[in-house]
Amino acid sequence: MPSSMTSRERVLAALARQPVDRTPLCNPTSVATVELMDLVDAPFPAANREPELMARLAATGYTELGFDTIMPVFTIIQESSALGCKIQWEQKDNWPTVRMSEPIWHEPDDIKIPADLCTHPDTACVTEAIKILRKEYGDEVAIVGKTMGPWSLGYHCFGVEPFLLLSLDDPGETKLCLDRMKEITIEFGQAQIEAGADALCLPDHATGDLVSGEYYERYLRDLHIEFAERLSVPIILHICGRTVDRMEYIAQTGMAAFHFDSKNTPEESTQIMRDRISLVGNINNPETLFSKGPEVVGAEVVRNLEAGVQLIGPECAIPLQTSIENLKAIPRTVQEWHRDQAHN
Amino acid sequence: MAQTLDLGSRVELVSMDLHFDDISIALYCPDGPPCYQVHTYSHLLGAAERVAGIADAMQVLGGMEQTSDGLLRFPCGHAHLLAVKRLFLEACKLPPEQPVKPRPLHIFDKKANATIAVASLGQGLYEVRATEQVRGVERRVATIARGLIRLGEMEEIADQPNQARFGCGHSHDALIGLLLIRAPNVRAAVREAEAMASRGVLSAPSAQE
Repeated sequence: MPSSMTSRERVLAALARQPVDRTPLCNPTSVATVELMDLVDAPFPAANREPELMARLAATGYTELGFDTIMPVFTIIQESSALGCKIQWEQKDNWPTVRMSEPIWHEPDDIKIPADLCTHPDTACVTEAIKILRKEYGDEVAIVGKTMGPWSLGYHCFGVEPFLLLSLDDPGETKLCLDRMKEITIEFGQAQIEAGADALCLPDHATGDLVSGEYYERYLRDLHIEFAERLSVPIILHICGRTVDRMEYIAQTGMAAFHFDSKNTPEESTQIMRDRISLVGNINNPETLFSKGPEVVGAEVVRNLEAGVQLIGPECAIPLQTSIENLKAIPRTVQEWHRDQAHN
Repeated sequence: MAQTLDLGSRVELVSMDLHFDDISIALYCPDGPPCYQVHTYSHLLGAAERVAGIADAMQVLGGMEQTSDGLLRFPCGHAHLLAVKRLFLEACKLPPEQPVKPRPLHIFDKKANATIAVASLGQGLYEVRATEQVRGVERRVATIARGLIRLGEMEEIADQPNQARFGCGHSHDALIGLLLIRAPNVRAAVREAEAMASRGVLSAPSAQE
């Protein structure tokens, strides 16, 4: 086991399932809170649209909370904005959303990737923020970017209901849509790699509530294999909800890690993945991080560590009102657990 | 070097202050109850004064006092956690330019079409009374007493539906005046709290509208 690693080395090693000096703290989605926004004077929505503010707020995950990663892409709508979706940018205390009731595409031939996909202000903001962070933090911390998968983009651009109905009525057309939209994922991901991202989170919301494991296998597994092959950095797949019925397929994709939801227990998840893919997670957001105290947070961290989860972090983007005390309990518990293990 | 502080548990949060640049202001418990601290991480000019103003308002509106460490506490030495949350939220709602005065121990209740008053009977015991005897007023009096019990974590008194007692056994007239405004409609206060709690939680696209 290495005696001492930088945060970046630790994260990259864990994503490759190599030995680490301690379990890394990883936030593939967002650990931004309204209080951290105040601390560095980088509030939403501006921190989602101005690179300096985005970088400053993202850095607090490392400098203030003690995570081993910095993730500047707080939202899931940056590229959808560049594609022309209508965005509700909201205020400081709420997440921006795509107005999915006003879809921009209706059929595969509507799918057009604009020439300015990665130079549009809302995507360029991300690449510029990554460059700022890379310059400021060098190789000390892992910088994680985010590029949305085609299933999520389908929801954003076609609307949730029309896209799901299409997948039921016409699998061929659906596959054609996904195949065309995958280039958006690749292009934006590639731009972030060129800007200096060490790894990419790839949320693809084939969530347990609406999409079955069989659907995942039919529509997404091969696409995800292709992402792992074409994008040159470790990919962290993110899917919310109960996903044990598709974990076997996810393990076959060649992605570096799966960011899993607390609706799946750490024990059953590690058992399915069997070291074929790292797991990142899965501290519960709404009940634990948002509503409970540091002791409960700590207990969930320990449960993940004991189950062998390779990277510890919240299950998804944390609620913006989450307390700093609860967030700091995550790294503190990891440190304490490793100290206890060493003593024993 | 981290700038965040060890302020203990966060008791309540106003994520966007209506009266000062949308800053977030929180009530913390640095050494555990019964002492509290109003805090903001904002460095904006005037933010510290805004926080001090809220702490002052909590003293006037809730009868809290300041310790030698600059923390806030109730003179009885008890936490009164639910009540202090409500007190903090109400203090944040007040425009800073408005003079803060303790709330009276009576309100006009539209549903009863009567003035409802609360009288201190000593040792933390309070009685809700109507100043006019109109039809249905007794039910409203009992409703308001139940509202005080819920908002202030007070104790029920057997066979006395119009009475409530603070478990600490001390009088809190200012706090009762503050809670009395919300006591006739606790459901609205609960709804407001739920709406606040649901903001800022990211849903998967499939769960969004």
